[in-house]
Formats: sequence, structure tokens, C-alpha cells
Amino acid sequence: MARYMARRLIQAIPIVIGVSIIVFLIVYASPGDPTDRFRTPRVPPEQILALIRSYGLDKPLPEQYLAWVTTFFQPWNIDAWGYSFVDGVPVIEKVMRRMPATFLLMGTALVVTVIVAIPIGIIAAVRQYSWTDKIITTSATIGYALPSFLLGTYILYLGGVLAKQWTNGAVGFPLFGMESLGSRGDPVDIAWHMFMPVLSLAILSIAAWSRYVRSSMLDVLHQDYVRTAKAKGLPRRSVLYKHALRNAMIPIVTLLGLSIPTLIAGAAITETIFSWPGLGSMYVESVGNKDYPVIMALAMLSGIAVILGNLLADVLYGIVDPRIKY
Amino acid sequence: MKPQETASRIAATPADATVSGDVGGVDEVDLAPVRTYWQLVRRRFVRHRMAVISLITLTILIAFAVLVPLLTGDLYKDPDIHRIYGAPEFPGAPLGYDEIGQNVFVRLAKATQTSLIVGFSAVIIIAGVGSLVGAIAGYMGGWVDNALMRFVDVVLTLPILFIILMIVSFFGQGNVWVVVIAIGITGWTLAARLIRGEFLMLREMDFVQAARALGASHRRIVFRHMLPPATGPLIVAAAIGVADAVVIEAALSFLGFGISLPEASLGNMLNNAQTYFIRAPLMVFWPGIILVLMVLCASFLGDGLRDALDPRQKIDVK
Repeated sequence: MARYMARRLIQAIPIVIGVSIIVFLIVYASPGDPTDRFRTPRVPPEQILALIRSYGLDKPLPEQYLAWVTTFFQPWNIDAWGYSFVDGVPVIEKVMRRMPATFLLMGTALVVTVIVAIPIGIIAAVRQYSWTDKIITTSATIGYALPSFLLGTYILYLGGVLAKQWTNGAVGFPLFGMESLGSRGDPVDIAWHMFMPVLSLAILSIAAWSRYVRSSMLDVLHQDYVRTAKAKGLPRRSVLYKHALRNAMIPIVTLLGLSIPTLIAGAAITETIFSWPGLGSMYVESVGNKDYPVIMALAMLSGIAVILGNLLADVLYGIVDPRIKY
Repeated sequence: MKPQETASRIAATPADATVSGDVGGVDEVDLAPVRTYWQLVRRRFVRHRMAVISLITLTILIAFAVLVPLLTGDLYKDPDIHRIYGAPEFPGAPLGYDEIGQNVFVRLAKATQTSLIVGFSAVIIIAGVGSLVGAIAGYMGGWVDNALMRFVDVVLTLPILFIILMIVSFFGQGNVWVVVIAIGITGWTLAARLIRGEFLMLREMDFVQAARALGASHRRIVFRHMLPPATGPLIVAAAIGVADAVVIEAALSFLGFGISLPEASLGNMLNNAQTYFIRAPLMVFWPGIILVLMVLCASFLGDGLRDALDPRQKIDVK
């Protein structure tokens, strides 16, 4: 296992390099340069030139790339990812400040998804072609087709505006942010703020997950050993939960590994709709501000998260399925 | 008359054949109507009820997106201060007017048109780049295949939405074609993998080996022998690609990076309507329903086409 992981990590190196080259080239090839924001009549041209020299923007392209990449992989230095153009705060500090919010939101959504989607998928598979199954699969198909920003907008409207109108202000979820003013760190307040974004994230992923669980469970239920177990006269419960479910969960564990990157990268659209102070909405903000250091750091970070998520998925697969040997 | 038509006529009218008395020991079973590949495709497709409904819905949507803007010209970005939040009027404005007095129905048609243009143009890039990369990788094999597939891995690792946002915001915010290119150059990996898989399999097939043995050029083998049987998966990838592109464009415009006002896009209509939630709640509903319809139809259509285009599917259609 350790050798396999080492080999996978070595294989990941060229992919990380590829991602970094693409991210660097997009930023580099874009019209204008980072000093544009200083170009006002009040700033003398010599000063701009001095800035270009101090940023190293006059150096050849490969040299700039190497300088960026080598410092990027030394995150123990506070200035490794540069300083934000907007407020001059080190990018690492900015990212660390926002990461807990994303982790909390995405983690809760993932837990809710797992708790709801697995039973739903199992019920649909066990009662294949029944009305329950038809209702579940149809709503899963529709949920799967719902774009996240659409669902988010509707939930915001229903839970934040309509609910307040119908109940004369008694029930109504906060429209934005993570905490109310003056109640910093109050868990009830945060949970109240989290309800709508978690709901809109969870509906979408429950739709996807329950489809996977259903088809994985159906695959297993049609296998010979399940029929044998039934034929032996084992109780239905034991056949379903001991024989079938354990094997049906193998692909689902992989899915869990693949969802890990979203814990770090966040959901840009949902976070933006609900003004959630996480990394996803930070990305959208910094693209709007052309805050290059933040954009590059976040793009790299989520690329690395995807690679680690894939690796984790494979490792988990090996753990839950003893037939797999690395 | 072609032989197969004669055959089907004989099979269709066995009574006549007996009367004329010269069937001559031909077994009727062998004379079952001969159908071409595309006839079979059509028959298999028609059996897929949801796919047929989706095709009809999409046709109506396309007609709506083509005809209404054609008839109304620039009306979609024509504000009218006397009609702010105006009530529906028939037949001119069945959905009423928005916060600056623009005709919502006409705007919706224009927005659908924008979405479809983005979807189909992006899919042309996706299918083009995807089949090129996939065909080269699958046909050449060896280190070329290896190198190209590592490149696909890199593109798959990229945070797609992040990269698209970056490209659109740096290279021309609000420009439809920048949006199309950004979606196209990030979205071709699925098509490339499918085509590569098909080509790896087809390369070893007897008919391709035969063509090679007969001295056919690489180009002839690829275009005449290998590409036609690989169109099925490509069409399915394209159907999924259109839906994805439409959603990404709407998401970009919703976030304020895609197509900007006064041009109409489902995303920017939705974003705009969000501001006027309380005053005009239905304006959030219309662009949304069109978007969901498009995505649902594309995915059902993809399912139907996948089953219909697969020549290995059981031919039990009568």
C-alpha cells in the first residue's frame, strides 16, 4: 500500500506541473499586466518601471514561472503565495481565514447527503419498478438537471422572502453571510445561516448520490451469491444489509473520496448566492477584482485537492474491498 | 428496383406471391424486410418515449428562439418607462414587462437563442477538439496515446469553473465568443476519451485490418472506416456537451461574468430578476423553467440516442 501510494504521488507530479503551467499561462497571456492598477496620471512612469522590476515582470517567461512555482510549494513561508492586490494581506493568511467556513459548509452538506441519499437509493433499488422507485428516480433525474444557481436562487426566495411573508416574519432564514452581527461564533446562529446553503447543496448531491446508490445496489442484488443467500432461507434483513449492502457500498466509498476536493475548493456559485464567506465566493470576488495572486493560489489549490481526492478514492477502495491488492 | 425492395414486397404480400405461383422454394423467413442502419436507428429511437417527447420540446424551444427574435428585431432591449412591471398583454406581451419596461416574452426568446448559440457553438469546438485528440491517441497508440492521455488528465484536474471564469474575465468580459471558446477548450475531455476508446477497439477489428492490408491510406482508414462507426458515442457526448455548455454560460452570466446587459441571456435575466424578487417573482421563474427544460431534454435525448445509435443493440423492433 505504501509503495502504491508513493508511486501514485510520483505520477501526480507531472499533472501538478501541467496544471501550474496552464494556470500561469492564462494569467500571463491575459491582456494588461499586474501594474495596470497603478497606471494613473499621478504615478510617474519611472515608478511603474521600478515596480515591474521589483515584481520581476521584466524577466523571461520561464524564469518567472520557475520563481512562482518554487515559492508556491513553500507554504511555510507566509509570503509564498504572494500578497493580495486588493488589501495587501498575504494570500496564505487570506486563504486560511476563509477555509474553515468552506469546510464547515461543504462538510455539513456532505454528511447530510450521505445520511439521506444512501437510504433513499437502497429503498429505490429494493423496490425496483414500484411507485416509490419511480418517484425517487424521477425526482433524482430532475434534481440532477437543476443548475445549482437556479436552485440556490429559488431556495433563497422561498426560505428568505416568501417564508417571511407567509408567516408574518415569524419564520425566515437569514439571506446572507454566516453570522449575525453581534453574535460571533454562536453555533445556533451559524446553523440558522447554514440551513439554506446546505439545503441547496444537499438537494443536488442527494439527486446524484441516490442514483449511484440505486444502480450499485441493483448490480449487487442481481448477483448469484445474493440469490443463494435468499435460497438458503436467510432473513430478508440479513440478506439486504449483510450480503448486499456491504458490496454495494464499495463504489459509494469511491464517490466519497472524489467529493473530498469540494471540501477545500468549495462551491463558488452557491457560496456566492448566499454570500457565504468561503473560498468559493472568495475566488469569484478575486476574479472580479483581477487579484492575480489569490486567483492563482486558489486554482492551484483546487487542482491539488482534485489529485489528492482521486488518490484518496483509490486508497479507500483498496481498504473496503479486500479483493483489490496494490 | 433494388433487390432488397423486391424482397420486402414479396415478404409483405405473400398471398400475391402464392397466387403467381413462382416463389420457387424461397423461404419466407429469409425475406423479412431488410432495413438499413438508419431505419433501425429511427425505430429504436421512436420506442424511447421520453427521448421523443424531449425532441419535440427541443424543437418547439428552437422554433421559439429563432422565430420570436426574427419577428421582433431589437424589441428585446427596448425599455419603455410607461410599462414598468406592466401586466401581460395579449398577444404582444404574454409575460408582461420587467423593471425597465422590456417585454419579458421577447427577452426570454432572445435569451434562449443566446443559450442555444453558445451551446451549439461550444459543442462544435468540444466535438472537434475531442475527436481530433481522441482519434490521434486511439489510432496511433503507443507514446502518442500516452502523452495525449496525460494531457487529458491535466485538463480533467483543472478546476473547470475556476478556469472558465478566469479566461472570460481576463479576455473580454461580456463577449459571447470568449464564453464559447472558454467552454469549448475546457470541455472536450469526455469526447476525447470516448473516441479514443472506440478507436482503440476499432483499430483491431477485422474490417480495419482488411482495409490496411489492401493498402488504404491512414486518412482513408480513419475517415472512411473508423470515424463512421464512432459517431454514436460522439453524438451522445455532444448532447451532454450542449446541456453542460448552456448551464455554464447561464452560470457565468448569473455571476456577472458572461453576457452583459442589455443583451439577453438566461443567466443574466435570472440574476437581474433576483434583485426584483418581491416586486416580480415570476421573472425568476421563466428563465429557470426554460433552462431546466433544455437540460432535461438534452439528457433524455442523449439517453435515447445512445440506445438508438448502438449497432450492437438487440434488433427486436418489428
